Amino acid sequence: MDTGGDLVLTGVRKLYGPAVVLDVDHVVLRRAEVVGLVGENGAGKSTMMGVVAGSVTPDAGTVSIAGQMLDSGGTLRAQELGVAMVSQEFPLVGQLSVAENLLLGRRPSERRFLVDRRATYSAAAELLDAVGLRVNPRRRVDSLSVAQRQLIEIAKALGRRPLVLILDEPTSALGPAESERLLGFARRHAAGGGIVIFVGHRLAEVRAVADRVLVLRNGRLISDLTPTEATEQRIIRDMVGKDLLPEGELSEPEGDPGFAFAATALEAPGLGPLDLAVRRGEIVGVAGLMGSGRSRLLHVVMGALASTGGEMRLDGARYRPHTPTDAATAGVGLVPEDRKTQALLVDAPIRWNVTLAILRRISWRHLLLTPRRERGEAAAIVNLARVRCRSAEQPARALSGGNQQRMIFGRWMATKPRLLLLDEPTRGVDVGAKAEIYKLIEEARKEGMAILVASSELEELMGICHRIVVLRRGRVTAEFDRSDFSKERIIAAAAIDLVAA
Amino acid sequence: MAADSSESVAAATDGEGATATGEVGVPPLLRRLADSPEIGIIAALIVAVIVFTSINPLFLSVSDLQNPLGVDLAGFGILAVGESIVIMTGGIDLSVGSLTAFFVVGSAWLNVSEHIPVGFAFALTILAGALWGLWHAFWITRFGVAPFVITLVTFIFAAGADEALAPNPITISSPPFLALVGSTVAGVPIAVVVFVAIVLAAWFFLERTYVGREIYAVGGNKEAARLAGIPTARRITLAYVVSGSCAAVVGLIEASRITSGTADSVSGWELIAIAAAVIGGVSLIGGQGRIVGAVAGAALLVALTDGLVTINVNAYYQPMVVGVVLFFAVILDAARTRFRARSAARTVLEAGKGAGGNLAAARGDP
Repeated sequence: MDTGGDLVLTGVRKLYGPAVVLDVDHVVLRRAEVVGLVGENGAGKSTMMGVVAGSVTPDAGTVSIAGQMLDSGGTLRAQELGVAMVSQEFPLVGQLSVAENLLLGRRPSERRFLVDRRATYSAAAELLDAVGLRVNPRRRVDSLSVAQRQLIEIAKALGRRPLVLILDEPTSALGPAESERLLGFARRHAAGGGIVIFVGHRLAEVRAVADRVLVLRNGRLISDLTPTEATEQRIIRDMVGKDLLPEGELSEPEGDPGFAFAATALEAPGLGPLDLAVRRGEIVGVAGLMGSGRSRLLHVVMGALASTGGEMRLDGARYRPHTPTDAATAGVGLVPEDRKTQALLVDAPIRWNVTLAILRRISWRHLLLTPRRERGEAAAIVNLARVRCRSAEQPARALSGGNQQRMIFGRWMATKPRLLLLDEPTRGVDVGAKAEIYKLIEEARKEGMAILVASSELEELMGICHRIVVLRRGRVTAEFDRSDFSKERIIAAAAIDLVAA
Repeated sequence: MAADSSESVAAATDGEGATATGEVGVPPLLRRLADSPEIGIIAALIVAVIVFTSINPLFLSVSDLQNPLGVDLAGFGILAVGESIVIMTGGIDLSVGSLTAFFVVGSAWLNVSEHIPVGFAFALTILAGALWGLWHAFWITRFGVAPFVITLVTFIFAAGADEALAPNPITISSPPFLALVGSTVAGVPIAVVVFVAIVLAAWFFLERTYVGREIYAVGGNKEAARLAGIPTARRITLAYVVSGSCAAVVGLIEASRITSGTADSVSGWELIAIAAAVIGGVSLIGGQGRIVGAVAGAALLVALTDGLVTINVNAYYQPMVVGVVLFFAVILDAARTRFRARSAARTVLEAGKGAGGNLAAARGDP
């Protein structure tokens, strides 16, 4: 049965304290196969990938790769055996250049001590070519966008010519066209005789790329599905143990025809001039490829990036935010794209995180925080945003991604903003948590907030928005009403230049 | 509402956030102690006091004869308070020792050479300290100059400025000036009263005002604080202004104590202030720590330096003894942090989010 080229997990168990986080009897991943691995957060996907990549030592069981035992050799042994992992948190060194990151730990030439710059850059250029990323290899990694860093991470892994390629939510930071390209790499790697493990939250992608879909729940392998069996319904049912409620029809924004937010000829570096308006109780989506200016637009509206021209109005009044403080005061809130660097106080308690934007309002005489009042407000927000925690005194880092995201949502819902800006609101959260976040967005809308959502997931925008505007190179190239939503047309509007390529 | 929220917490027991299992088996008291960052330093302080008192019962009352323990503590402690607030914003202020020296001479010069009345001289000195802090904050918030660098510049500049201002020691004779250390209120030197007032004010500010909370937020994650609408530049500015003012106040106390405008006694105090803050649990990363820890840190340092004198330890050995004690205090703190991080890693790992980071944290697990 063991053909020598396979990756075999036998009786693998991992415990943390008394909790079983992984318990897999027998799984064989064959060469030339793309295996999709899905499951909710906490289902054991990360632990299982860690076991294969050598970063997690199982308490029982064995892993063999191409007939060789991994034993407890750690990540180095796993690398020797040809495992390369692309994780969703990029261990790139921000201060180093793209090329240096790509070749970290490897020598591009025969020189022993000195860095051979030319060889480094040419080797890097080759790797970048392979993933179709056009950036100067001399640029520092911390000057790149999240999506570009994700592609570099992938280039780095492919550069090791691995047997087993693990892609852990590789598309969560990418737009549709880049994701498509990435799925192509995965297929090609398998076609070349490799094993690809594709961990994903976007079920459509997993189904499109995988030859088999493994579903984990509570650390156990629930199902092993062929592409025909793996319908979205089936996968979701196996993941969460029940069917998700079918999405209800989106009700139209009520009565008020007035625009809560309107921008005319808005300009900023890399953005505009563009016109945009959002009504009260309306959800407007911003679609576009990476680098099209989605985040930039939200940051300009939030006052976090300076606008260089044009005019914005909030409920008819002139609105000129110089800082996010101005924006917050005027009734604008932003749930940013990257929780860890832009939103969370990771070591602080949940209470601090949820009251952060309303501290002044809940202070006695706008000065003194009274512990009782603050605890009460925090409990109310935790409840409203359905943050699941043992107590509001737990540090934010103890929460899962979906919970952290709801917490940040709660932070802004509590300010009762007129305009709520959401940047990739469901990035890196699982199916169940997504549904809850959509519910929160709907609740915010019903309270009459105007909502502007930027997302790289078209299905998401098409599911929750009344209208979608498409950005390309900082300008609005198309606008679609809910009745004319079409994936093809939106992608075409976002990527005219890429369609030819 | 209250009933609702308790329900949601209870319901969480089987939700994704409920991952208490990793903590089973840890006694709650030990856990609470480990959760309180100041515990190591307070324990060390108690041990030091007991040891010194048992060797020389007069330790707490006399200290080293010339220097009442409380006044020494007032000096270190006030600097540590200002320094802590700066460190909490994620910055550092290297200038406070030099500035204190400058203000020792400056306040004497104002009062004696320029004949400015004591009250007015005090006010001018503190104002100058605040302005100097404003100067640091200006470069840090407007031009992105690293706090380390801009305060290092002041450190170097001010070290010479006091000499330039008054090449010869200025003898202070004005009674109100000397009263700052010489007089007592209910048996407590006025300087110590000032110190206690500053500590209480700082504690209240950080724990009970929304601006204080925002200081922690800025230090914890500056970008998140900015995007949450917090005026980060203003909060950072406030921290440096407080630190500069604290240096001025300590300058006044020192001038009053040595009754003269000479500044040799305060050299190196910026490092003592930083050490007091850090061993008291104020993390150099920012966003963490409490005033009580910094004050305990300062108290430990004073108890050690003064205590070693009272039990007649050779002056040459004193810094070594202090170093050894600090070493243990710091190691204890590191052990505590690891203990906490490990139980946190378990919690997070079971919550199961995110491959790279969490797995990396879990690697520390046995």
